[in-house]
Amino acid sequence: MKNKIWPLFFFLSLCFQLPALDINIRCFDHQDFTRLVFEGSRSFQFRISRSGTSLKLEMDGKARTENDVSVMQDSVLLDKVVHVREKNRSVFVVFSHSEFEIRRDFILERPFRVVFDLARSEKPVMTDKPVISRNSTPPANDSEPLESHEPEGDFGPARNQKKTAIETICIDPGHGGSDFGAVGRSDLKEKDITLKVSKRLRSLIESRLGLRVITTREIDAEVSLNSRVSIANNQKADMFISIHVNSSFRKGARGPETFFVSLKATDQAASELAKQENKSFDEIDKTAETEDLKMILWDMAQSEYIRESSKLAEFIQNELNVILNTVNRGVKQAPFRVLMRAAMPAVLVEIAFISNPAEEQKLRDEQFLQQVAQSIYDGLSKFIHYHNTMNR
Amino acid sequence: MNKKLIYALVAIAFVFFVTSLFIFLKSKNPVRYSEKKSTEAEISTEPEEPRLLKVKAFFFTENSSQMIPVVFEMERPDIQSELYRRFVDLIIQGKENFIVPAPPGLQIRALYYMEKQKMLVLDFNENLVSRFPSGSQSELEFIYFMVDNICFNFEEIKMVKFLVSGNEYSTISGHIDIEHPFYPDYSFLRLN
Repeated sequence: MKNKIWPLFFFLSLCFQLPALDINIRCFDHQDFTRLVFEGSRSFQFRISRSGTSLKLEMDGKARTENDVSVMQDSVLLDKVVHVREKNRSVFVVFSHSEFEIRRDFILERPFRVVFDLARSEKPVMTDKPVISRNSTPPANDSEPLESHEPEGDFGPARNQKKTAIETICIDPGHGGSDFGAVGRSDLKEKDITLKVSKRLRSLIESRLGLRVITTREIDAEVSLNSRVSIANNQKADMFISIHVNSSFRKGARGPETFFVSLKATDQAASELAKQENKSFDEIDKTAETEDLKMILWDMAQSEYIRESSKLAEFIQNELNVILNTVNRGVKQAPFRVLMRAAMPAVLVEIAFISNPAEEQKLRDEQFLQQVAQSIYDGLSKFIHYHNTMNR
Repeated sequence: MNKKLIYALVAIAFVFFVTSLFIFLKSKNPVRYSEKKSTEAEISTEPEEPRLLKVKAFFFTENSSQMIPVVFEMERPDIQSELYRRFVDLIIQGKENFIVPAPPGLQIRALYYMEKQKMLVLDFNENLVSRFPSGSQSELEFIYFMVDNICFNFEEIKMVKFLVSGNEYSTISGHIDIEHPFYPDYSFLRLN
């Protein structure tokens, strides 16, 4: 009888198990803080504590992660996150390269995320990092309760410690490798034009402004959209310019366009945000819809820089209109993937329409490409002057 | 006697298992309107509604950056989701002398209406990404061709989300983020 009852209990316990909790851990560096996100496949209960240069997040029940040790390769502040499984709980220990403070921690829904904004603190680096192994229990005595994990009123990223001078510019030649981008009737490829213009622009900036320039690719190679923006963030670029060639289903479409990011889906929220850039997020109207949209915008690193990106786009577009003597198509907003996670003023320049036979012809002309590089250079120079004046 | 008890317990466990599985699946998956089982609630309860429905579809022309309206008459099916599907098929098919900003061979695989979010999810075949001509303007033209036409004609739909072969894609051809749903932008439409 006993032998028959046990499988039954096992079967019943399977029936009442909660769905597994998968945790995805990610982080990315902003200009003056690092955001660490624990994303759960469902909501979960948790407690936070810290010791030395580590931070602990304990959750009831067993969680699943892709790796037990997540190395934060792209972060200047964080080293790794170690997942320790215990009997009825999971503990995530976050190790950093140096002392840090938690600027804010809060929860986002849909999907459920626990978010920390961490910044390097002034204290000296701790050398006695606690050693955590998979089977060991994290030291309990030295852990002290930390800030409340309730969401705070201020949802806005820190704005008070921005660098004042522009030192590094990141140029992103669109597409590359097996990703040709748009292709003209004469087989002219977007990836080749963007690389040529980027090299010319780099040369102009380095020789005339003496600033440091980094590019997301130097050769004809495929680079993912996420890698492009990671390069800019990790290299602490102060400006991000993505160079592209446009294409339309309408052959008559022509003229240069400069975009800065917005979730066009949340167009109103984006412009609202831009207007209120200098106000605290607390002052933004808290209707249910605005809250939802704000959450989406908040997820974008770029949300902090919308006003500056808009200004940069305006300067560049004005120069393109003058030099190329083209119809002013104006500065535009769209949710460009490559711009969304850029933690700096960022724009995307579409220099001409390869789908328009006349403009495709122009794009073959080296002199035209030099003019385009020159006008982008003039635009960003004016932006640098504006930026430096505003921050003096 | 003991055997009977075991059978009873097994039967109870089985009922529990099936019930909890059903509840779990129902809470996880959106209603798939293209499947016949879930469409009973969608059957129109107003028999007075005319069978023929006038819709205004907007298309690009060679000379206009805004889409121009063309009126069509469609037969109204009993199932609302079938109406959405027919409308999407209609605009993809297009009309002579008008431009449809969609790649060749584009077909809709399934569509879902998420009532709570007032969101229509369009699931297209692989041709959306594999045969798309690239260019950010092309992407914007395709996205707002779909979103504006749908939201303009069906006021219950407030936003549209795109899937490709049942999966979320980050972009169509390397520019616009399509992981988020889109609200309409009627600046693409010539309304007068």
